[in-house]
Amino acid sequence: MSEREIRVAFVGNPNCGKTTLFNAITGSRLKVANWPGVTVEKISGEAVYKDYHLTIVDTPGIYALTCYTIEEKITRKCIMDDDIDVIINVVDASNLERNLYLTLQLLELGKPVVLALNMMDIVRDRGMEIDLHRLPELLGDIPVVPVSAAKNEGLDILLHAAVHHHLEGPTGHVLNYSEEIEEKIAKLEVIMEARYPEHSGRRWHAIKLLEWDEDVREDHPVNILNVADRNYEKEIIRQKYKYIDEVVEEVLFHKQEKAAMTDRVDRILTHPFWGVPVFLCIIALVFILTFAVGDSLKAVFEVLLDEFSAMVHDGLLAMHTSDWMISLVCDGIIAGVGGILTFIPNILILFLALAILEDSGYMARVAYVMDGIMGKAGLSGKAFLPMILGFGCTVPALMATRALETEKDRRKTMFVTPFMSCSARLPIYVLFADIFFGKAAPVACFSMYVIGLIVAILIARMINLFDKGTNNESLLIELPEYKKPNAKTIRIYVWNKISDYLTKAGTTIFIASIIIWFVLNFGMGGMVENPADSFGAIIGRFMVPVLEPAGLGMWQIGVALISGISAKEVVVSSFAVLFGITNANSPEGMSLILANIRSSIPGFGSLNAFCLMLFCLLYVPCAATIGTIKKESGSVKFTLKMVMFQLLLAYAVSVLVFQLGSLLL
Amino acid sequence: MTLYEGTAGRDYEISGIYVENNITRRLEALGLNDKTVIHMMTKKKHGAMIIKVRGTRLALGRHIAKSIEVKECKA
Repeated sequence: MSEREIRVAFVGNPNCGKTTLFNAITGSRLKVANWPGVTVEKISGEAVYKDYHLTIVDTPGIYALTCYTIEEKITRKCIMDDDIDVIINVVDASNLERNLYLTLQLLELGKPVVLALNMMDIVRDRGMEIDLHRLPELLGDIPVVPVSAAKNEGLDILLHAAVHHHLEGPTGHVLNYSEEIEEKIAKLEVIMEARYPEHSGRRWHAIKLLEWDEDVREDHPVNILNVADRNYEKEIIRQKYKYIDEVVEEVLFHKQEKAAMTDRVDRILTHPFWGVPVFLCIIALVFILTFAVGDSLKAVFEVLLDEFSAMVHDGLLAMHTSDWMISLVCDGIIAGVGGILTFIPNILILFLALAILEDSGYMARVAYVMDGIMGKAGLSGKAFLPMILGFGCTVPALMATRALETEKDRRKTMFVTPFMSCSARLPIYVLFADIFFGKAAPVACFSMYVIGLIVAILIARMINLFDKGTNNESLLIELPEYKKPNAKTIRIYVWNKISDYLTKAGTTIFIASIIIWFVLNFGMGGMVENPADSFGAIIGRFMVPVLEPAGLGMWQIGVALISGISAKEVVVSSFAVLFGITNANSPEGMSLILANIRSSIPGFGSLNAFCLMLFCLLYVPCAATIGTIKKESGSVKFTLKMVMFQLLLAYAVSVLVFQLGSLLL
Repeated sequence: MTLYEGTAGRDYEISGIYVENNITRRLEALGLNDKTVIHMMTKKKHGAMIIKVRGTRLALGRHIAKSIEVKECKA
């Protein structure tokens, strides 16, 4: 690597604004989408400063360099193994006391560290002051740069400091422990030097050996029993905090002169009684906005899509394209992909709302608010966070289960997360609710989210009954300060989600539409006039007797449900392709779907539609989700068990609802 | 007494943490050590609570709250 190439890692506590800073510095060069505050993988980007080329790695937020959680392991591995030249320690200046604990550990690594003091505006707003001359002196003369990620302030100075400090190299150690511990560190350093002469960062390793750190003891086994016969972690932590107390005493003035706004807001949002109703109202508002406002915006998309389809159709005709090609493009691709695109306004509003809730700091409170209810299901309130992320997309939600403390909790949360309605299921609900529920459509849609949530909690509770003796009252989560959501963070977040959706429309849904078109237009004797003679119909008819008890005994529904495994939106695409509708989401498209369905099942009404929505809510998640479950659980058996269970559950519930409903209605 | 028995709005000083090892270390890393002062902000009926410690708000479940031995600070 040339001298002008520098590898920089952003390391810091959760919620200290690392990702906002990362986005501000790497700008449009950002490579991977990211959940604000929920970075679960390291992510890299590029930046240029003068003639230096910086590769910047954003790591998951951590409190300590131990190896108790997956985030800590990822971050530690990244710093140790990835040839990081400079560590930029992002610190929430309004919360110096807690943040400096990680700083002291990073300084012990023996690598160059630059301190980025983020959120200085909050410090000023609260009437606090930080002595910026004394702070670096107490931290071994490392560069300390005040920045505001939200306002793009201090970023150049930060890059300058990183480059400059990299050239200067690391500074000596800052914190001297008690004589007893220092003596042991010195002895262990000698042992390390003899055993691993090439190894750098001996002091850090010596300290970690004294803390009986499992990973260090495995990677660099040394016999330490002659030096330390017990674990010194407790003392080491205490002495670090003692030093931090001294630092804070010297550099921080007017501590908490003004009562923070957060305390006042929390009095309502985390109220022992009102917390849950307030949360339900907020979520209801999110979905009402998603359905009501989203639906009023979609008219624009509909007009555009109709015009586009007509234009392509005429264009192909003028070019004397063969009929089957026109059918493939207009009835297959445009119907399948285009229909999905008209749901963009709904998806956009949903993600916008989730991003605002997340970025404002409310999401972490939800874990506390829901702790009691989740506790009854044998899950900690923290498990509710991945579940809420599941409203967006199940794939990142499954990845977010990594934040849970035990593998058992994780499996349980992974098992129930797919029941949270993801945005891909939204087009199905919107379409069928609009056709069959009239004015009550938003309520019908919202009911799917509530049912999904209830099913998830009931299933977790059932698992818990089989799996006695687990204790899940160990909620432990930091509640960040409330802040005004950052426009740039939200824009990047929403754009990433929308571009994921567009990519999916252009790849999975595109291919699925072509396959569906083929299956429905070809039969044993080649291209068929009537879809009822097609391969699709042959496959679908096998499913009719099975789906009949759920009120869905129609071969077209069978085909749509099977194809929906590729991606849930494809259920809607299938109906569009099946009935040759350009835009399933328009009034004409809907009446065509209704007419077609009623020609097969004359009595198909709101109960049948509700059962279809229920089935789509509960049945096998999409291919991407199945892949993620396999990857995250590392077990084919667990994955198969989940898929089978969901299929059976979807079937059982929709049959039950249809049969009971038929009796009552 | 344990933190679980405490009352919202009061200050407590930690005298010991008796919970699974990994949770203890995590609490210590968050700055909950012997003699650290905790302010209890709010508490739910089943025992989950929000505390403020070293300027940070933490939500704790009942199990953890029951495992933190405290003394009440005189106002």
